[in-house]
Amino acid sequence: MTLRRLILRRSLEILVIFFLILSGLFFLFHLAPGDPVSRMVDPSMSPEDAELLVSQLGLDQPLWLRYLYYLKNFCTGDFGISFHYGRPVVEVIGERLPNTILLFTTSIILSALAGISWGKLVAWYKGKRVDTVVTITSLVCHTLFLPWIALLFIWVFAYKIGGFPLNGMISPELWSDPASGWFVKALDILHHMLLPLLTLSIIHVGEYLLIMRSSMLETLSEDYILTARAKGLSEKRIRNRHAGPNASLPVVTNVGLSLAFSINGGALTETVFTWPGIGRELIFAVSNNDYPLALASFLFISIVVLVANLVVDVLYAYLDPRIRY
Amino acid sequence: MNQPARLVQGFVFFVLLLPLFLSTGWAKENETTLKIGISEEPRTLNIWLASDANSRKALSLIYQPLYTRNPDTMRITPWLAESMPVYDPREISYTVRLRPAKWADGSEVTADDVVFTVNLIQEFEVPRYYSKWDFVRKVEAVDKRTVKFYLKEPKAIFTTRTLVNYIVSRKEWEPLAEKAKTKEKPLTALVNTKVESPLGCGPFALEDWKEGTSLHFTRNEHFFGQNQTLAQRKLGPHVDKILFKIYGTADVAILALKKGNIDFLWWGIQPGYIPDLKKDEDVRVFLSEKSALYFMGYNVRKKPFSDRYLRQATAIVTDKDFFVKRVLQGYASRMDSIVPAENTFWHADDLPHYGQGLSRDERIKKATALLAENGYSWKTPPVDEDGNVGSPSDIILPSGQPMQKFVILTPPADYDPNRATCGLMIQEWLNDLGIPAIARPMSFGALLQKVKGEHDFDAFILGYGRLSLDPDYLRSFFHSRNDKSRGWNMSGYHNPEFDRLATKSVSAMDPDKRQELIHRMQEIVMRDLPYIPLYKPQEIEAANMKFSGWEQMVGGIGNLWSICQVKPNE
Repeated sequence: MTLRRLILRRSLEILVIFFLILSGLFFLFHLAPGDPVSRMVDPSMSPEDAELLVSQLGLDQPLWLRYLYYLKNFCTGDFGISFHYGRPVVEVIGERLPNTILLFTTSIILSALAGISWGKLVAWYKGKRVDTVVTITSLVCHTLFLPWIALLFIWVFAYKIGGFPLNGMISPELWSDPASGWFVKALDILHHMLLPLLTLSIIHVGEYLLIMRSSMLETLSEDYILTARAKGLSEKRIRNRHAGPNASLPVVTNVGLSLAFSINGGALTETVFTWPGIGRELIFAVSNNDYPLALASFLFISIVVLVANLVVDVLYAYLDPRIRY
Repeated sequence: MNQPARLVQGFVFFVLLLPLFLSTGWAKENETTLKIGISEEPRTLNIWLASDANSRKALSLIYQPLYTRNPDTMRITPWLAESMPVYDPREISYTVRLRPAKWADGSEVTADDVVFTVNLIQEFEVPRYYSKWDFVRKVEAVDKRTVKFYLKEPKAIFTTRTLVNYIVSRKEWEPLAEKAKTKEKPLTALVNTKVESPLGCGPFALEDWKEGTSLHFTRNEHFFGQNQTLAQRKLGPHVDKILFKIYGTADVAILALKKGNIDFLWWGIQPGYIPDLKKDEDVRVFLSEKSALYFMGYNVRKKPFSDRYLRQATAIVTDKDFFVKRVLQGYASRMDSIVPAENTFWHADDLPHYGQGLSRDERIKKATALLAENGYSWKTPPVDEDGNVGSPSDIILPSGQPMQKFVILTPPADYDPNRATCGLMIQEWLNDLGIPAIARPMSFGALLQKVKGEHDFDAFILGYGRLSLDPDYLRSFFHSRNDKSRGWNMSGYHNPEFDRLATKSVSAMDPDKRQELIHRMQEIVMRDLPYIPLYKPQEIEAANMKFSGWEQMVGGIGNLWSICQVKPNE
């Protein structure tokens, strides 16, 4: 199969999968127990008021009709209006998405860089004390309960020691000060990113380090490493130029997929640090039956993950001509 | 060292220096800014859409009603109105005189704005508001500052529930309403209108809203209450700005309060935080009564729950004092009526206090005797012939059939640990009587759908954290007319006598006469027990000592009176 045919076939498969996701999500949300209206009313509202609300939200239409509207609206790029915000869901997602991407992609890239570097080193020193200590520490970090470590960091670094913000993405006082320029504001965002970044990186770096270590050990047993040694190359050159780049391929693949999944954000991280990202919105939308917002968020994540998978598949096929599916 | 490692180390070094740089020069403390922590971001500033607590908190600083609650008496008191409404029984009309007031842009608040507000609600049939205004036949501006409301029929709730709604500016809303009318769905268009800068006449105006982070309010120089004495209180506001800061979790918000990042947490605190907060000299904890109700309800449409005596036995065996002391750590009070005791005018005192003051064995004996008298039996009863309490066999109904297992639905522990625990406790106490109850936590949305939407349940535990001070909810909860899908009569209670009294109470314009009816309604409900009132938690709030002048009333210190009086300490 040629590369072009592979791309075409994969794209068609993705379209079918996406349609199934599109329909599955709709029915999953609408058939799941829970009623958005019940959460929006209080005893001072009459049953007639509740009926008005149902009608206003379009929930008085039969399910099949709502499904057809949903498909039609999707095809015209209309994802609907959030029940709670009363605004187009695309607008709500558009506001939150950059914040999530900023935090999570930074964290993944930093973790990957650290994981690759340190994983390479500990594999090189396999069996030594540094290998044992770093491997165990990585395992511990990878299995840490994220909200716990997040609260611990807030308590230690922001409350006890000070110097770090407790939560949020910006300092409202600073941003309201007309004297604050864009550079100061950018530094303020970075300042607020530190603790969430540290928390996420500690969890992720352990994962990447372990993958890199394992891959590096495998690579080091390859014949071309022996050849490099026989050629008299320095140990540092063999590690960094010959073994390292080849061993880092699995980590790069992992990072690619992690970047796609990072769109949904770490709902827990965003909640604890009050980071105004899409993860918190997703949790809110699902728990409050805000169908349009929840559906659009999940669809967006699905699109990104499907496309990321396609890109990884094609890249694999491109990089290794032996691979054809 | 290789390239990636150098990059990471460089970044770490840079970010470690950053807090030192940022924390030195930029921290600006402004004593006239009141910083308030809230739990979630307000969903909207469109008054016609706002249904969540945080949107309402923000809007309460901006939009104002004609009347509000007096902090001392909890009766209505003039706010944007100059005096109490004058009722004319011949015309069934109320005349309201406005005090001189201006919108935040300096334009005058007129009777025309009031007329416009009412007409808009009626024309668009705005949910949440329409039912409070639909019985108003006509509203007219008599002069610039006098409004006359003509009612279709006498309605007691007009002053207590209708006149306390917000008034909007014609200038702000007329163009938006006209635009909405041109759309296919005018109501949807109106409620989905994005409002970025609401125009109100309250003590503060919105300066800016940083999505996901904060809301800034600045003092409205035109606020009609400035330096005025209303309800014996000299009003400010005495702060220049208010900053709402959003916190996702209570843990972080508490740390922010202790650290001085915020001055007040406008957010009910769990009792577990109190010991830690009380240790902090800079923080003051406020415990206030709430107009709230937490209760267990039976589905009285079904047998055997339709039997009043079974429900009374449940009430007897339920140890409400245990909930209060153990589950809620004393920060609550037991409830023996649907109307909270703090609502003194409407609360009926002379009601049965099922099981109060009895030990566990005494409660079991009393409940067993009641059930036995009314045809229930056991192979092995809970109380033997010698009067000793033991383990009973499953109860047998008066029909001779053994009672089937039934489920008490509760919200899950992560939503409300108190109600989930209460469900388990009631399960155990009912099992002591041989009643095969099982408490089952269920996601809140699913629970509401089963109980309110589908009526597919046996029993449930729910609550209302903020009940209106007008007791008209008694009618909502128990009038047979409201026994329908999404209706408030979740238990399916039908009692013609209650319906008659409830209908009469709506049009009882004499407060004393209405009080008598409301008392009688409470007596009927507490006899028949479609709902068993359980407890009412206290509102726990905390504020920084930097500010004083908080107005503590039913519902806590987070209220408009506080906002208008709080000032920085010298």
